Amino acid sequence: MKNFLYHKPTTLSEALSLRARYGQSAVLLAGGSDVVIQLREHLIAPEAVIDIKGIAELTGVVWDEHNLWIGAKTTMRELAEHPEVLRAYPFLADAASRVGSKQLRNRATCVGNIVNASPLCDTGTPLYALDAVVVTNAREIPICEFITFVRRTSLAADEIVTGIRVPHQNCKGEFTKISRRSEVDLSTVCATVLQAGDSYRLSFGAVAPTPLRLRETEALLNGKPLTAARIEQAAISARAEVKPISDIRASLEYRLDMVELITRRSLTNLMNGGSEA
Amino acid sequence: MKYQIRFTLNGEEQELYVPANYTMLRVLRDELNFMGTKEGCGAGECGACTVIADGRPVNACIVLAPEMDGMSIETVEGLAKDGRLTPLQEAFVSHAALQCGFCTPGFLMSATALLRENPHPAREEIIRAISGNLCRCTGYVRIIEAIEDAARDNGQ
Repeated sequence: MKNFLYHKPTTLSEALSLRARYGQSAVLLAGGSDVVIQLREHLIAPEAVIDIKGIAELTGVVWDEHNLWIGAKTTMRELAEHPEVLRAYPFLADAASRVGSKQLRNRATCVGNIVNASPLCDTGTPLYALDAVVVTNAREIPICEFITFVRRTSLAADEIVTGIRVPHQNCKGEFTKISRRSEVDLSTVCATVLQAGDSYRLSFGAVAPTPLRLRETEALLNGKPLTAARIEQAAISARAEVKPISDIRASLEYRLDMVELITRRSLTNLMNGGSEA
Repeated sequence: MKYQIRFTLNGEEQELYVPANYTMLRVLRDELNFMGTKEGCGAGECGACTVIADGRPVNACIVLAPEMDGMSIETVEGLAKDGRLTPLQEAFVSHAALQCGFCTPGFLMSATALLRENPHPAREEIIRAISGNLCRCTGYVRIIEAIEDAARDNGQ
């Protein structure tokens, strides 16, 4: 990999002045599971790497009265094993536990997963379904507006994501990851399907340039009891609402079939009262 | 530009000056001549470079050299003490849980970290703990049995 300068600021203000100094020619480093590979493959060649792990203001998971706070230092392992996350949002813990390997989850962060903005990011769909909010030093952005395209976000060159805020909510549902291998693999399709009261939230990854919320399918379901016939309608609607492509992992047709299958299976599980696999 | 890093490697203090674009793996192998840690994929997928950093297994190929500053790192060279293999290493030998041996240091480090955290893991937990380590010749059955055997002897 090309050489670069390495900075490890200890405060947010120091990190922000480095961000301002380098602009687009610096990259932020947390767990490194995406950044180091991009450096090695020459996909990026920054002048400087700014390691955020020394910043005193950044945290791991904080569970308070109103929110789940996924601080920028939260590793996938911490998120997957956090007792409150496991209790309230098991599908989010499940998604985190399905990323990479044990070694990788000890380093990779949830915030990094979102900032990297891959269409198949595993923690994307649960956070989309939870209406999570991405928080930077300057502003709060709903997660569906934060990720704008494949590997693009609305993060400005002088901003740093400090964490992701999930307002407390009562919901149940499940995360599904379809991949060739159950561990250490990328999602062919991933999804989170939730029920909160009489409303439904369906979110899919790897079926469009960004993770998607299926608003039309949700509208079809909201406020009505789940029946087998309505689930069928939703499965057909979900299939029409996504825009997958064919790639190395699967064909467009396979992905459409999986979207239909996951929608049917997850909603049926909700109808039957269960949500756990 | 080089960066000063201080860390402990298998219990010994180290101080080095490293370029930012080296990885931990390169520092261990090329700067310190600790060749037990292997480079397989170089992308955090195969686990051949697994070391224990601050008590947890990580892939040395995706840690930048300057990030090593302050870490406590254990490699396969640190397992045997005074020429005596650990029970886990003995179990790998007695089960013939290796052929070419390239992946073995990584498996040993993943399994060592597992057994410290969970001295009596279920088979499923063993399988999960080593799912980030690939073996292309021995197959996994003997490796799993060796770890089960070492776990069985734990604290008995």
